[in-house]
Amino acid sequence: MKKEKITNGMILAIAVNLVYTKGIGVTQGIIARQVGNDMWIATALSILQGIILVWVTISIIRRIPQYNIIEQTEVMLGSLIAKLVAIVIFLFFVGAYATVLITYVYHIKDYFSPDSSILLPVVVGLIVGIYGTYKGIEVVSRFAIMGLMSILLFNVLIILGSLKDFDIKEILPIFTNGLGKNIEASIHYNTDWAMVTMVAAILYPLVNDQKTWFKSGVTGIVFGGLTVLIWPILETGVLSPEVTGQYIVSCMQLARAAEIGDFIHRYEMIMVALFSISLYVQIMVILYTASLTVAPVFKLKDIRPLIIPIGIILSAFGYWIIFNNVRAMTFLTYYWPPIAMSIAVGLPVLIFILGFFFKEKLQQTKANLPQEEQNI
Amino acid sequence: MHRKVVIFSMILIFISTSLLGCTSKTEIYDLAMVMLVGIDKGEKNPNNIMVTVQIALPANARGSTGSPTGTGMGDPIWTSTGEGKSIFEAIRNIGRYSSRRLFWAHNHAIVISEEYARDIGITDVIDFFTRNNQLRMRTWVVVTPKKAKNLVATKTGLEVIPGQSLNKLFRYNEIIAEAPRTDMRILTAAYMSESSHPVLAKVDIKNRGVSADRPGEFGSTPQVELSGSAVFNRAKMVGWLDSKESRGLLCFIEGFNSAVIALKCPSDRSKPASVELKDSKFKVTPYYKNGKITFTIESTTYAELVELGCSTNYENPRILADLEEQLSAEMKSNIEGVIKKAQKDYKIDFLKLGETFNNRYPSEWKELRDEWKEIFPTIDITIKVDANVISPALLENPTRDVKD
Repeated sequence: MKKEKITNGMILAIAVNLVYTKGIGVTQGIIARQVGNDMWIATALSILQGIILVWVTISIIRRIPQYNIIEQTEVMLGSLIAKLVAIVIFLFFVGAYATVLITYVYHIKDYFSPDSSILLPVVVGLIVGIYGTYKGIEVVSRFAIMGLMSILLFNVLIILGSLKDFDIKEILPIFTNGLGKNIEASIHYNTDWAMVTMVAAILYPLVNDQKTWFKSGVTGIVFGGLTVLIWPILETGVLSPEVTGQYIVSCMQLARAAEIGDFIHRYEMIMVALFSISLYVQIMVILYTASLTVAPVFKLKDIRPLIIPIGIILSAFGYWIIFNNVRAMTFLTYYWPPIAMSIAVGLPVLIFILGFFFKEKLQQTKANLPQEEQNI
Repeated sequence: MHRKVVIFSMILIFISTSLLGCTSKTEIYDLAMVMLVGIDKGEKNPNNIMVTVQIALPANARGSTGSPTGTGMGDPIWTSTGEGKSIFEAIRNIGRYSSRRLFWAHNHAIVISEEYARDIGITDVIDFFTRNNQLRMRTWVVVTPKKAKNLVATKTGLEVIPGQSLNKLFRYNEIIAEAPRTDMRILTAAYMSESSHPVLAKVDIKNRGVSADRPGEFGSTPQVELSGSAVFNRAKMVGWLDSKESRGLLCFIEGFNSAVIALKCPSDRSKPASVELKDSKFKVTPYYKNGKITFTIESTTYAELVELGCSTNYENPRILADLEEQLSAEMKSNIEGVIKKAQKDYKIDFLKLGETFNNRYPSEWKELRDEWKEIFPTIDITIKVDANVISPALLENPTRDVKD
């Protein structure tokens, strides 16, 4: 399989898409239930943590820019440990895919197609995901740029439709829960950044121009963070934190409350039309990255034979999670944050530290690479 | 062969995915579009709930607005009631008569009867309608002192569909500013608030319309009037605010920039004068000293003289100065009226003063919030009103009868 390359702009677009759809609604609902009107502070704190996470990940990959985190582990610790790391990362993507399905399916099922079987959006997502993954990461990245445009357009519309009802009193006073509780609540949005970190750990070797990696990585997080940050601010000021925390998909309530004059209301139709691109980007990227993660376990150079079986595994687990609403929200609120954080923070930090002990080995491997590969 | 299989698969996937929307499809002519819904206590059993729905009949509702019954072929609405142990059961029972499936997306307002709001409370109404994925958060929620079913069945206003008339009554209510613009979003937020209590707009049926068939009988047809407010203690209604108190209430909960205030002519108090509010600012500042909470309310209004019912020799500056005094007294009386109702009569903070205190004194609030119900009626509130009548609107001199 030909090794594809994507630009820094494309990876930025992927990062924004990965943190948007769940971050604006489902995540904010959980945060609102914990810290009320401080939800925007918890989100902002999470963005800062996201910058550190992605900085660590990019620092790891830059040691040998052609190798992803699994390949670098193999260089340092051998193939057996590398396979173990690959399996752990794959398990992370299984969970991450379920969280994406929670966002995707509950939007569709609860608000648009309540009479349909939940299997339907799961299967549609799988078909679109498999199709995109077969086309390759470059095509998915271009689609992510379209998703980014839709996100920006939708943010402008929601600001226009909600600002007149915005009440600053709902935001005040700030830090009512103290810094500690806000940091604790920020873990829920960190799980969205965790997706970016893990995807970056696998995909960054495919990104051109390694000199601008840090810049694009940080820009992606700040940009993605700001597109999301406007939502907790609006949800608090327009709906109130109590109402935001009442709903599973709180962004839909904001969309249902938004209107421009007497002409444009019922934003949820516009919302789903615009951010469904983002949802499908998430599905495709996770499917692609999960396949790329598992490929070395089976010593495969081409991920294509893996796409369908992996897609089925991810969808089957996701379907089991979302089938029961209470199970889905329990998983998302209580089980997923510690799992995601242990893997997405623990693994990169461990490998980052190990890199100092195996510095020579890594440098030697980098030096032995063909010259044209070193000049990426 | 392989290429054919790929193309065939792609076509199959395209067709199957693009037809997925059909799984929940409902044809428009299978839907009964609810325009207005009324909630009353049951008639068969007072513990039951009676739901009345006003449904648009699209075939008869065609034509321009203002025509009394659409195309003249029949009534533009169909009204039906159902009774049950819960709202959902009552709605399901309407299905016994309705040949179409009830569709809530276009519902303009939820009308709750006073009897229901006082005896049963609105928790079930909030819960049921916020769970409904078809209903908008912008749906107005109102209380009527009469039976909600009577109001829902009343043909009112200029629009073909009465539900639309009620909706537009709210849309243009800011001109008279005598009732809060309470929709489901605001109601839910107030209901779930830590310190505030909900207030809902009051609608009533008054014989104010004049029938085209009976022009001599003034006030022969009932019309829906939007004026006043219903005050709630948590979920249950405790009383009413009149139109003046409601105007005072608006300063606290949503503000208003337009209202017509009837005053007296400066030179002849028996004659009328009117000013129209053009802008207003309202600031509530809490203070906490030596364990005592006080509030200062500063209201600044800017108005225009729009009507002077007396022929006067006074010049404009003197007239405007006099009207400013009257306006100031009127505004102060409105605010004092609603504060008295809140503190002395109902002893409920529906003015969001608790929230305002929390905004400025968050750590003190944590200690006081559990006792807020007892503290609120005892708080000293100082009102400062600065009323400005800044324009005599078009006329350089008052309209005078020079023959005098």
